[in-house]
Amino acid sequence: MKLEPVDVLIIGAGASGAAIAWSLLETRMRILCLEQGDHLLDKDFPSRREDYELARYAEFSCDPNVRGLPQDYPINAEDSCITPVNWNGVGGSTINFLGHWPRMRPSDFRTRSLDGVGEDWPVDYHDLARFYDMNDRNTGVSGLGGNPAYPDYTPPHPPIPMGKLGQTLARGFNEKGWHWWPSDVAILSENDDGRQKCVNAGTCDLGCAAGAKGGTNFTYWPMLENAGVELRTKARVREILVDEASGFATGVLYHAADGQVYEQKAELVIVACNGVGTPRLLLNSKSKLFPEGLANRSGKVGKNLMFHPLTGVAGVFDEPMKGHEGPMACSILSQEFYESDPDREFVRGYGLHSGRSTTPMTYALGGYGIDNPIPWGAEHREIMDNVYPYLAGLTVVTEDLPEEHNCVTLDPDLTDSDGIPAPKITYRLGENTQAMLKHGEARAQEVLLAAGARRILPKGDKVWWRAGWHQMGTCRMGNDPGASVVNGWGRSHDVKNLFIVDGSIFVTAGAVNPTSTIQALALFIGDRIKTNIATLFD
Amino acid sequence: MSAHKTINPQLALDAILDVLIPANRDRDIPAAGELGVAAFVTEAAARNPALNSALVTLIARAGELAGGITPHTVRQLESELPEAFSLLLTETYKGYYSRPDMRAKVGVGSHPVHPAGYEVASDPPALLNELTAPVRARGPVFRDPTGGQA
Repeated sequence: MKLEPVDVLIIGAGASGAAIAWSLLETRMRILCLEQGDHLLDKDFPSRREDYELARYAEFSCDPNVRGLPQDYPINAEDSCITPVNWNGVGGSTINFLGHWPRMRPSDFRTRSLDGVGEDWPVDYHDLARFYDMNDRNTGVSGLGGNPAYPDYTPPHPPIPMGKLGQTLARGFNEKGWHWWPSDVAILSENDDGRQKCVNAGTCDLGCAAGAKGGTNFTYWPMLENAGVELRTKARVREILVDEASGFATGVLYHAADGQVYEQKAELVIVACNGVGTPRLLLNSKSKLFPEGLANRSGKVGKNLMFHPLTGVAGVFDEPMKGHEGPMACSILSQEFYESDPDREFVRGYGLHSGRSTTPMTYALGGYGIDNPIPWGAEHREIMDNVYPYLAGLTVVTEDLPEEHNCVTLDPDLTDSDGIPAPKITYRLGENTQAMLKHGEARAQEVLLAAGARRILPKGDKVWWRAGWHQMGTCRMGNDPGASVVNGWGRSHDVKNLFIVDGSIFVTAGAVNPTSTIQALALFIGDRIKTNIATLFD
Repeated sequence: MSAHKTINPQLALDAILDVLIPANRDRDIPAAGELGVAAFVTEAAARNPALNSALVTLIARAGELAGGITPHTVRQLESELPEAFSLLLTETYKGYYSRPDMRAKVGVGSHPVHPAGYEVASDPPALLNELTAPVRARGPVFRDPTGGQA
């Protein structure tokens, strides 16, 4: 069934799809966004329930394989030590992300030139700086200006409370003489534009019923829908169509909630499905022109998958840390070990993030993103009564390097509920990353002890399993069509009316949460589209 | 869950749960069995065949072990039937800590966290200034290969 054509078709209503829709709004083009999930209704936020923690292991798990909701697609991660996590719905993974909002740093865009690894980006920090600022305002970012780890900028809202836990750890970093700073967060520290400030619920992963967290369901989408952008939900794109004569994308086929398959035509197609969903869609869009998948003449679609492998270290303090009070992952961030240092056994670096502690059920079951329950019996009682309330922890967030063997492919058997082939992840930790994790654990222990921890909890060697939040690199940008999928402003080298705007176009990963950069990049690409509108498809 | 011939499955399950999460009498914290977590577990088992099968197997084996339900016999169950035991343990923790009153026993609010959340005071500017002073004093800690040029 064919529908009325649109000018711009955006696939995915998450972080990047929303940002580029906002950027293109002023063009007055007819914009349609197709989203496989739906709006999250106010009544569906689990944090309004007394047993809210249960949702974390069911319909609000970060893992689509656990949720198994109709809008989710399964992901085969049997050949990976990290499984991707996400949310499918209006807001995308900004529904259940934790709101940590650090920017990438200038060196992150030049890893080849500076450190001989990865590749240089075709853009740099200063190209993106004003889009970071713009997006911070639209999102409602809180933080403290003057961070010596960055070129100067000031978030629009004052920092959220560090709390006792953050203050304690900050003193530990000061004792060591190491960098730390109050975290930039996409969480309101004060009421803003009809949105309520953070109530310190500590359950950011369960959606933010207060609207304080800057999910695009609360930031961009209300504004966009009011302005006339059409958001069609429960619309799962099966493939992107191309005209064999011109080589241009003509639109998509999508499965609607009524069970029918529709053809939606568009002049411009923008893919915003994240670092797993985007290569999956392109690889599923095979044609005579593109037998290996759409826009894949370089062979790079799905390659160079990067996560941010994580591990955590926790210390036991003498006083309750009240770590469940406040945004669950954001208090302070140290970038002391972010840049390369020739004295270390690895290149590039990592951040030390102060996770607050989690709620009792999640702690008992092993922690957020980990399936490894704490001991039962007398030891259980001892841990929950005399350890859990006194915990403070640090998370080691490492920079993953691009490696071609880490990739997204199509599973030969697994499909979603519409019969569309599902993605398969093949991923292993690089030696450089392993060295970083080891180094980071040792430094985290030092800080915790310096901050007053009376002991450090033992931990396993494994990286966190449900930690594939940040899915990057699988459709990398670059100037060389033979080595990249899109150019320096997100346009496919092979299909000139096809753009990609999500984390898949990252060239390297940095060691920071990527959403701030994903959206800044989407706004940058929107700006380039507007600037080049007269010659857009040349 | 089906009954076992030699023991009362309800009593056996309560006893196992009491061992998994024991009481702290000094702080008036009940054990999992006495709290009634068995109801949560059996309800979950009614929806989850794997868990149901695990329960049946564990309770049957518990009935065969001499000496009743003790930490020693529960350890034996864990050793002999690790997958079934893991399913039960996970569900026990879920059942116990989904109880708001048990959250409160370990220092976490019993209320739904929205809309009330928690009161956390903002950090006074003077404190922020004091804490960040040594960080600022060390100066920039980033490399900027473009020298700040857009």
